[in-house]
Amino acid sequence: MLKLLKSITFGVVATALTAGVAHADITVYTAGPQSLIDKLSAGFTKETGIKVNVFQATTGKVMARIEAEASNPVVDVLISASWDTATDFAKRGWLLAYTSPNAAKVPDFLKTDTAVAQGISALGIAWNTKSGTPKPSEWADLTKSEYKDLVNIPDPAQSGSAFELDAALANQDEFKLFKDLKANGAIIAGANAEALNPVLQGAKAAVFGAVDYITFAAKAKGESVDVIFPVSGTVIAPRPAMVLNWSKHQDEARKFIDYMLSDEGQKMVADTKLMPARTDIPADRPLISDLKLLKYDTTDVYGKRKETLAEITKIYGGK
Amino acid sequence: MKVNGGIGGAAPVAWLAIAGLIVIVAIPFIAVALQGIFPYLGQGSFAGPFSSFIATLGDGALIGMAANTVLLGGCVVLASALIAVPLGVFRALYRIPLAPVWDVLLLVPFMIPPYIATLGWIMTLQPRGYLQQLAGFNLAPFLFSLFGMTLVMTFNTFPVVYFAVSRTVEAVGARYADVGRVFGATPARAFWRITLPLSAPGLAASLMLVFAAAIEEYGTPAALGRRAGFQVLVTGIDLRITDWPIDLPGAALLSILLVAMSLVTFLAQRWILARRSYQTVGGKPTAKDKRPLGALKIPVMIAFAVVAFLATGVPLLAILSTALSRTISGGLALDNISFDNFESVFSNSAGALVALANSFSLGIGTALITGLIGVMAAYTVVKTKIPGRMTIDIMTILPNALPGIVVAVGLILAWNMPWLPATPYNTAFILLLAYCCILLPQPVRYTTAAFQQIGDNLEAAARVFGASSFTAFRRILLPLVFPSLASAMLLVFALASRELVASVVVAPVGMQTIATFIWRQFEQGSIGLGMAMAFIAILITTLLPLLLLTLLRRSGLVAE
Repeated sequence: MLKLLKSITFGVVATALTAGVAHADITVYTAGPQSLIDKLSAGFTKETGIKVNVFQATTGKVMARIEAEASNPVVDVLISASWDTATDFAKRGWLLAYTSPNAAKVPDFLKTDTAVAQGISALGIAWNTKSGTPKPSEWADLTKSEYKDLVNIPDPAQSGSAFELDAALANQDEFKLFKDLKANGAIIAGANAEALNPVLQGAKAAVFGAVDYITFAAKAKGESVDVIFPVSGTVIAPRPAMVLNWSKHQDEARKFIDYMLSDEGQKMVADTKLMPARTDIPADRPLISDLKLLKYDTTDVYGKRKETLAEITKIYGGK
Repeated sequence: MKVNGGIGGAAPVAWLAIAGLIVIVAIPFIAVALQGIFPYLGQGSFAGPFSSFIATLGDGALIGMAANTVLLGGCVVLASALIAVPLGVFRALYRIPLAPVWDVLLLVPFMIPPYIATLGWIMTLQPRGYLQQLAGFNLAPFLFSLFGMTLVMTFNTFPVVYFAVSRTVEAVGARYADVGRVFGATPARAFWRITLPLSAPGLAASLMLVFAAAIEEYGTPAALGRRAGFQVLVTGIDLRITDWPIDLPGAALLSILLVAMSLVTFLAQRWILARRSYQTVGGKPTAKDKRPLGALKIPVMIAFAVVAFLATGVPLLAILSTALSRTISGGLALDNISFDNFESVFSNSAGALVALANSFSLGIGTALITGLIGVMAAYTVVKTKIPGRMTIDIMTILPNALPGIVVAVGLILAWNMPWLPATPYNTAFILLLAYCCILLPQPVRYTTAAFQQIGDNLEAAARVFGASSFTAFRRILLPLVFPSLASAMLLVFALASRELVASVVVAPVGMQTIATFIWRQFEQGSIGLGMAMAFIAILITTLLPLLLLTLLRRSGLVAE
């Protein structure tokens, strides 16, 4: 115990003194999950001797920090949970062009000159198997009376992937599905994890558009919950990794991308129940090739972001 | 009549207070204000001043959000007063059986982070929640409404009022009311016309803190309000900051609006208090003997028990049952009990123990710094005639309603400028600055109220007998305000060690605090582990201050 206390004290002092000093260390800002970045950076340090400083929050909070730091940025590598970030940062000219040799097995739609996917999550229906409701197989199933007042929808304003799903589905039928869901008592309930929690306890039966890896992880822990990918199609959320062009440790940052895409790094991605970006890495879960993806034009969807959110707010907004 | 505090002697105290306030409050606040005016400040450019005013202030939803903010703040203040004032008065004037136990039980809600308490209430009251599992019914419709929000937030904040009222009423004592009784007033009349008005400084200050805390609180309105379609300014600010493309200038402007609201209540409080003197602590000894409750004993005990159960029992039980559940979907069942989550915390998984150590060191540091600056600022404002002391007072109130996330952005803007030779940014010190800024109003308000009750003749007497201004401060005034200062510092410790919103954004790379640890567990769906951590943190933040107070009492520094 005393030894532990000592190491903690030392840790606190060391963090206080050295956190701001970067030798050949790289700084990675990432949107969760924490366990993945912990494993990745430990493995990377072991292999290369380069230390990794990590800041982890939601995509929104990571962006807020980068925006506030813009006059004197410190981040070398950014891993976001929304591909939109990669597009926008590239447009601003903030990214360094780099194609990792390990990216050869990453499909073309998951990489650009300046960004490459770390892993991919997909959205599905998270369903409580003990909820006493029939197993849903389609998005529209959740408008049936069996699910009256039992459906949570993650807030599209707070979750990038939820927004893409909602926009893609709304495009197909002019928001009819969302109006039907609302008529069936569905509610918009916080970001992804917040929407899932009531389903675990049983207050709700299903999440309309849950992030799959969080739900798979809960299932692995023994929660009575399952993920269903509707056959009519869903959306995926690739998580882009980027090197920032202001980085003073560009070589080290590139090495980090290489490591992330190595066999070892991609195995860690698969272990957190995300789909690995490389198609040749096995994973214990459905992969992109198993899913049907909705067809939509990303630029168009994001171009109308404000209008789409406003329409959804209008449908679900105040009583 | 006020005696001139001797500018020559008091000046060093004033200057120290001003220097501290500039570093802790003025720098981030100015950064936020400049960001509101110059939208491209983050990139180091002063282009396009005022260009975001129209877009932000012309937003049609703004009036609704502002009205909701005031409504929610008002409801929480009213409910807190209704619960806390009667309990506080009884605690101060009567012999309550088990009084120390009730004090501890009513102290715990301080230590429960509001977002955790809210989650506990949701898991208790929602359909198939703990209440339904035990009693067969749920109260979800009540929870997700203005009523539910008010109740949850009140149970979190009313202790501020309870402790302020019980302490100030006790300091006023029964002596003045007794004088009234001698002259023929009924007990009720003596209470309404003498005791309560004389306790106004503490009551008004605590109600103002509650209002500011309510309009600044993010977790509860975000979790309960959105579902009821109830948007407040803080949720609007958070959305502007975390929704890409990020609108920092808009968030800054809305924050300034929030700060303005809190300033208005502050000025109103000042105006009420400035109309008369509240000095009750003179040189004369006061008898602190309390009266027996008599026939009121049973109803008063029931009231204490009900409030303690709702404010402390329900959230704590919800937290504990979640932490002890193997799976959430398993519910309250014997075969679902597991100590895995607690084991994970104690085996330092995901850095849990380091996070605890980080938060407690930061909490102690914050309590010491804000206590020191707070007592100096309060002394300067109340007991000296230094020009500009009103400015000092206003500076101590500014952070009161500044949302944590905006303080964080202000600190990054201010301390990450490229030309700074050295900066606390990206070290643990930036968290210390953030906590000090957010929590400074607490010690200042508590000690200001205490100073206002101390007669000027005490200090004057010391000066007559040859004590310097500093000696008089140290030997006479400081011991008299120490009980208030100590409780404020303990409060700061508790609040700092659980602060979430600023910590998430401003924490140096690689550093975890209790709150960010819990929040990350929630984000990943490990609710049980987060709750186990929360329970341990609540236990320590409650026991540590109690231990300290006991030690202080033994050493005779704190009376009672």
